Amino acid sequence: MSETVISIKDLSKSFGDHEVLRKIDIEVNAGEIICIVGSSGSGKSTLLRCINKLERQTSGKILYHNKEVRDVQKDINKYRSKVGMVFQSFNLFNNMTVLENCMLCTRKVLHLSKEEAFDRAITHLKEVGMAPYINAKPAQLSGGQKQRVAIARSLCMNPEVLLFDEPTSALDPEMVGEVLNVMKELATTGLTMIIVTHEMAFARDVSTRTIFMDRGYVAEDAAPLELFTNPQNPRTREFLKRYLAG
Amino acid sequence: MNFNNPSNSFEWTVFLAKKYSDMFIRGTWLTLYIAVIGTIIGFILGYLVGVVEDIRINPGDKIIRKFFVRLIKAIFSIYVEIFRDTPMIVQAMIIYYGIKLLGVEMTPVFSGILVTVLNTGAYMAETVRGGIGSIDLGQREGAWAMGMSSFKTMLYVVLPQAFKNIIPEMANTFLTNLKMTSVLNVIAVQELFMAAKTVGGNYYKYFEAYLVIAVIYFILCFVFNKIFNLLERKMQGKTDYALAVEYMDNQ
Repeated sequence: MSETVISIKDLSKSFGDHEVLRKIDIEVNAGEIICIVGSSGSGKSTLLRCINKLERQTSGKILYHNKEVRDVQKDINKYRSKVGMVFQSFNLFNNMTVLENCMLCTRKVLHLSKEEAFDRAITHLKEVGMAPYINAKPAQLSGGQKQRVAIARSLCMNPEVLLFDEPTSALDPEMVGEVLNVMKELATTGLTMIIVTHEMAFARDVSTRTIFMDRGYVAEDAAPLELFTNPQNPRTREFLKRYLAG
Repeated sequence: MNFNNPSNSFEWTVFLAKKYSDMFIRGTWLTLYIAVIGTIIGFILGYLVGVVEDIRINPGDKIIRKFFVRLIKAIFSIYVEIFRDTPMIVQAMIIYYGIKLLGVEMTPVFSGILVTVLNTGAYMAETVRGGIGSIDLGQREGAWAMGMSSFKTMLYVVLPQAFKNIIPEMANTFLTNLKMTSVLNVIAVQELFMAAKTVGGNYYKYFEAYLVIAVIYFILCFVFNKIFNLLERKMQGKTDYALAVEYMDNQ
């Protein structure tokens, strides 16, 4: 049994009267690749944003290595430097080149030297195949290229966990492929990943555990093979019907 | 044309400009001096206020921090409100004579700069707020999600882009200041307007005297406008990039 990295305990989140997450309990172990699937509005993205503390939960706790992450900015910043996030809209810094994007946080948060930060940036940009583009600005790249840079940028922090919030939803099918390939590659390195996605085939093939969310609840949490071939929850069955039929 | 013995308005204008060139030049310098210093310090003040307005309070923060952030925000918003809602000419009077009442001696030029700074700061604060708002939240979240503090995110990600976006508005503010220094004649600052007033009074040729400074104001603003346009184009940067061929293989 591997070590628990993040525990989500009894987590709820409401926006006003609207309950988005209801009593979520998830344990994330080191090395797991967890895919979260479900229909739009089921709370997948909000859950991920809560894990990264971009949203504040209404109740419940998030533990990192069995220690609660408190709502104190210093603690949150430290925690985030270990738990990175890749966004649907890439969120690259538009005023900086690819290389600067990858070096900013290692320089300013981890206080690496210029040389170390550069080496790290090049290493990870090579991994995602974006090293030749170090001088380009985000506006000059395609969506798939931007997302690959965003992944490299997150990797530069040497995170323990990487969260992906629908990383391929804003991309055309060809670009989806290039980003998913990078993520598949990453999955083999032992990095712990939590991925919110609509790519069912990817979830089935790559994840070690798949979570189906429905109306703010974790409806089903199982090994991918089980969830995709023999779903227990009627909502899961309904959601996957079209995919399973195809 | 006889400029030494003027008989029409045009000749009078040239005559006055020549005869009182020292005065006009001194006035121009003072106008520039107050506008430049006042605008630069005012911009700094505006950035400060704009950035502070953007500070968020976390529920987990210490009580003392929450208190100070709220207090400073309140003070700044009162300041911005007061200076945006009163005319600069009245502010100049109140500050100049008000501080005298307190027993502190200030030169008119110093008061003039102070008024310009406070006025510019109030308007800039709003401009900076707009500039910060023009940068999508996603970029900030991208930085936060990697553990960057709000302050560093502001400094390295948001402000450089916001700055670029508000250059036209900053240029506007500076040109406005250049012209608004004219109201400082009410507190006896010897800037351009005061020079024209004095010169015009000597010969009862007000139209001609003000025509001289109108030309000077126009030239000043025109030149600065061109400089700002150039700066804006410079800041846009290159549209192409060089592929780093040394990393082309190994993919």
